[in-house]
Amino acid sequence: MSETVQSPIDSTHRSGQRPMIALEGVSKTYPKQSKPAVAELNLQVPEGAIVTLIGPSGCGKTTILKMMNRLIEPTTGRILLAGEDVTDVNGDQLRRRIGYVIQQVGLFPHLTIGDNIAVVPKMLGWDKRRVASRVDELLHLVGMEPDDFRDRYPRQLSGGQQQRVGVARGLAADPPVMLMDEPFGAIDPITRERLQDEFLEVQRQVAKTICFVTHDLSEAVKLGDRIAVFAARGRLAQYDTPSEVLAHPADDFVTEFVGSGAAVRRLSLLEINLLELEEIVISGAGAAGKDHPVLSVDGAGHPSAWQHLPGSEHLPPLVTVPLSGTVYDAVDVMLDGRAPVVVVVDDNGQPRGALHWEALVADLRTKGQPR
Amino acid sequence: MTAAAPTRAPGWIRRNRDLVATPVIVVVGLAGVLVYTATRQLDSVERRALDPSYLWPRFLEQIWLTVASTVVVIVLALPLGIALSRPAAARIRAGTLAFGGFMQALPPYGVIILLAFLLGFGTMTAIIALVLASFLPVLTNTVVGLLQVDPALIEAARGMGMSGRQTLLKVEIPLAVPVMVAGIRVALVLNVGTATLATFIGAGGLGEPISSMLYLGRAQAVFATSAIVAALALIIDWLGGVAERLVSGRVG
Repeated sequence: MSETVQSPIDSTHRSGQRPMIALEGVSKTYPKQSKPAVAELNLQVPEGAIVTLIGPSGCGKTTILKMMNRLIEPTTGRILLAGEDVTDVNGDQLRRRIGYVIQQVGLFPHLTIGDNIAVVPKMLGWDKRRVASRVDELLHLVGMEPDDFRDRYPRQLSGGQQQRVGVARGLAADPPVMLMDEPFGAIDPITRERLQDEFLEVQRQVAKTICFVTHDLSEAVKLGDRIAVFAARGRLAQYDTPSEVLAHPADDFVTEFVGSGAAVRRLSLLEINLLELEEIVISGAGAAGKDHPVLSVDGAGHPSAWQHLPGSEHLPPLVTVPLSGTVYDAVDVMLDGRAPVVVVVDDNGQPRGALHWEALVADLRTKGQPR
Repeated sequence: MTAAAPTRAPGWIRRNRDLVATPVIVVVGLAGVLVYTATRQLDSVERRALDPSYLWPRFLEQIWLTVASTVVVIVLALPLGIALSRPAAARIRAGTLAFGGFMQALPPYGVIILLAFLLGFGTMTAIIALVLASFLPVLTNTVVGLLQVDPALIEAARGMGMSGRQTLLKVEIPLAVPVMVAGIRVALVLNVGTATLATFIGAGGLGEPISSMLYLGRAQAVFATSAIVAALALIIDWLGGVAERLVSGRVG
């Protein structure tokens, strides 16, 4: 049954995974409005993928998300969850099978953190001990010590902590699908970065199928295995991997929406460990050829200063970037340190190579395809 | 942590110290009035009016009128308020609350006497009049309390698969309870004051000695009975305040 609903869009890219969520010809027309808010939408979300839904305000992306769990009933069309037509099943029962996280978090202020997480498992009739152990497991998963947080009230938590609990609550009954409506939208940029990283880490462990509405292109690019770009009236303008959307916008609308920053954003998709790095020589290690950069290191083997750079009169300050970072991070430290070259170090702080500003604006030699 | 043992126990007392004021004022005030009255020369009429064997039944009548009318208000206004807070009732909400405001604005003195002509004299009529006078605060506070629940919480509840009924019972009502209790407290205080008017339609209460002593020009007895009514009102308001504190402490 999984092969029957492959869309043309889906088949052009890494397909083969069955769609976990499928919208077929879904439209929504609100009462007293002549034009539909969403018209004839077809969308497949592959199992285990994060799909970010993005578009200008009023494009219907939140409406689309809420039709997936039928908080908003579609006017026409079919909704399939793991191949099962759920267009007409009991909405409350359906929503207990789908995780839901919203921007305002919506933790119940009169319930403790533990009771908030336990809401859906209790509705599903889990026994007490199973609920309690699930609550502890989820608090661990989102990096919160159960003994410290289980019996606290939401108002005693910071915004970031509340959102972590929101994610834990969405995962409570281990639903295969999570719907997230700008969950990090109201959080300060620094905490948001961290929550996004933690969220990706959690997803690595739980491997849910996730639909994630955002209005922040950087967030869509960072989190999405695929991005669905919507134009007005829920028209799906492009549905593809982040690097494809940035490199080859499907039409003028996507080009304009992705904007002039697309080239820079693409840097954040390019991991340094995929690049051919320039070879560097450690000073005192003999054979100091003058055509390679020379670096001095301290006792632990960590880089300490430049000794020589080919074709450079004075030596720039030493800046480093981890091998696990992206080209975006490398550019960031170059600009920050006013250095045209950066040393790439591995997890142990050992130098692995150098990356030149000139190499970035020329052709980047990669060892493989960016993701 | 080191000095926790002696300071932790009375924590809730420290937080609620302001609640001590009213009972102290009531006790001191009543004692003052009693002492003052005891030192005065009272004639036989006044003595009879202030005799406990006469005052105690009036006191109980006063409390019965207050409690009975407030219970009726709760039974009627809470469900109506909950119904009015539902989205389906949005259209008739404003109109119904305006009608409630109209009933509230009628002077209780006039209402109680007009009702007596319509329904006959007695306690039943007095309770109906009191219900009319104190219906609005409970109704309004129920509606307002439910409407002020953050829509995001309702969305979260529905999004997690709670039915409309579960959302109402587990999320909306628990969060609206402090505002509802505040409305009930207002109704109680209104009723304990207005119940003194019940005497005019033969329903007893502490209004009886007040009006008769006023009629007979016995200022001393009027003063003493009025002080008892005031003390009763203060204590009922205080009990309402304690209840409010208890429920809002839970919800925060």
